[in-house]
Amino acid sequence: MKKLMFFTVLLFFILSSVNAQEKFITKSGTINFEASVPSFEEVKANHNSVSAILKSNGEFASLALVKGFRFKVALMEEHFNENYIESSTYPKATFKGKIKGFNISELSDLDKEYIVTGTVNMHGVDKNIETKAYLKKEGSIIYLTTNFILKPEDFQIEIPKVVSSKIAEEINVSASFELKGKS
Amino acid sequence: MTKQIKIVFALIVLVLGVYFGYNYMYQDHRNIESEVAVVSISAAELVTFFNENNSEKVLNKTVQVSGKITEIDANNITLDDQVQCNFDSILNNLKINESITIKGRCIGFDELFEVAKIDQSSIIK
Repeated sequence: MKKLMFFTVLLFFILSSVNAQEKFITKSGTINFEASVPSFEEVKANHNSVSAILKSNGEFASLALVKGFRFKVALMEEHFNENYIESSTYPKATFKGKIKGFNISELSDLDKEYIVTGTVNMHGVDKNIETKAYLKKEGSIIYLTTNFILKPEDFQIEIPKVVSSKIAEEINVSASFELKGKS
Repeated sequence: MTKQIKIVFALIVLVLGVYFGYNYMYQDHRNIESEVAVVSISAAELVTFFNENNSEKVLNKTVQVSGKITEIDANNITLDDQVQCNFDSILNNLKINESITIKGRCIGFDELFEVAKIDQSSIIK
């Protein structure tokens, strides 16, 4: 009986340590951002090969290669890369943070709201943010969606006066990730 | 110059200005599929450009990369676990372990997964 106890405890520890290493990943997440001003050309881009890792302790990291943002207007894409975000010098935009109170066993197939805090890095500048994220789990896949606002000035991105009336001061960013389980 | 000639001249200048202005504003996107690749290399060789800080040679350039398919997703494949190629359309008819050559635009190196990423890929063979 004692032996059985011992093995049960041992098994529990093995299982929990396996669980602790569990992570959920994607290499094809999407990020959209929009900085349109009514009655001007829409300023909008999307990226659909964003990487992200969610660990079972709630740590979340994401990386977008800036050149992967695609605009409808080619010239806008060129200006975004060369004049504003300077993607040759700063090729990456990253987020590193934590989902507060994340517990994988609490997830269901209905969206649950969480608070995410962490640091966005782009254009070589770090900025702490706090935002809401919605998570749900279907099978071994965790779906994470979020929306937040970023300001170009917070990342030392200067918008010239000539075009500043056509680009919103607050940029709406939305991201969604289909994170697949991997141990 | 008579008044009429002046008006006609002004109109021509205006039309040309609008025409070239419009073409400049709404120029076409690059067509990666029709561009000539600057390098034709293996997946591992593409990664070395980033390890050796030589990335400007391939970044935002059209590259041709060969390797074995190690992962297939809805709209991307991974070659030799080192290069992720994204396609603008949904993929089918590809198999794991198949050798393949693709052409696309290199957008950088992803440290999270240690893969170089390519978008607007097209299959060469």
